[in-house]
Amino acid sequence: MKLIITDIEEFNLPVEGEYKVIKPESGIHHCVGCFGCWTKTPGKCVIHDGYENTGINMGKCSEMILVSRCFYGSVSPFVKMVQDRAISYVHPDFVIRKGEMHHKRRYENVIALSLYLYGENITEAEKETAASIMDANADNYDGQVKQIRFFSNIEEMEGLVL
Amino acid sequence: MRIALIDASPKAKGSTSGILLDDLRHCLSGRAGMEMVDVALHSPQMQEEAWEKLDCADGWVFACPLYVDCLPGHLLSCLAQMDEKYSGGKEIAVYGIVNCGFYEGIQAETALKVMQNWCAKAGFAWRGGIGVGGGGALDIMTATPQEHGPKAPISKALSEMADNITEAGKGSAWENRYVSVAFPRFLYKMAGQMGWRHEIKANGGKSKDLGKRP
Repeated sequence: MKLIITDIEEFNLPVEGEYKVIKPESGIHHCVGCFGCWTKTPGKCVIHDGYENTGINMGKCSEMILVSRCFYGSVSPFVKMVQDRAISYVHPDFVIRKGEMHHKRRYENVIALSLYLYGENITEAEKETAASIMDANADNYDGQVKQIRFFSNIEEMEGLVL
Repeated sequence: MRIALIDASPKAKGSTSGILLDDLRHCLSGRAGMEMVDVALHSPQMQEEAWEKLDCADGWVFACPLYVDCLPGHLLSCLAQMDEKYSGGKEIAVYGIVNCGFYEGIQAETALKVMQNWCAKAGFAWRGGIGVGGGGALDIMTATPQEHGPKAPISKALSEMADNITEAGKGSAWENRYVSVAFPRFLYKMAGQMGWRHEIKANGGKSKDLGKRP
């Protein structure tokens, strides 16, 4: 299953195979740093606003595709809030991976990460930052980066098949 | 000089970001002409009180936790609103302190880069940041001396940041610092994992529940 997280409300890009889209449909609450998703309801966020199951969906996906406006080299606040609410994808315990501390796996799936960032005047520094964040995400999820692409606007993504 | 100490943790109380800002406040207090104001950015929507304090500050120091290798989503939202309001029209010195639960402060590098990109886009002056590793241990070390012991590397970096803030306009921006608690990594890891077990039991669960796969 492909898990697509996007800030585009009218998301209509074609997707090959089975997929699930998480997009702005109702107001999302930001992560409050309570760690309830690790120590109260392990694997699931404790905030019930329709976005609490992202960690579970990540555990079922083979590819996670982020389609977002670029904010200073990061994804948008909405997409980031979805990601922040899904740290339950990993186990709270630590492992040393590539010489650094990261979280242990909760699930066995290896996620391929793809990033499609759009926005006017995305700078080279922002592109480098976006690539560094994806590499770091791959280390933390124990997954791998599949591809990163940049677009000037949403229209430029027409013709893409995810 | 008026410095806004901006607590950008999603937690209103008891955050590591708040502890780090208190330590920075300690370094800055008593310096001639230095005035500090506290700003809270705990949610995605900027509040009127925050705008008022930011408007009249000469420097902004953000402190936040590392969330998924980046800034927390609520802070990104606030930064975008600040960009929209002030872009190109405010001379301000910006500093960042990003703490992570992981041991290595360098893991905060990507978050500090996002903050630097934000400054470049909005026309603010990036003055430097600190990536703090082992942030999970700081809340039990509030009474620990600053100058020596496990907090020493962090305190030293905060003291250097305070010096740079004081010299603003004269000194130059400094390279980002990456520091960790002076405490063996394996012990930090062990203590953290014991903490999760203690917490899940306090919530009525069992240690093995930590690995549930819903």
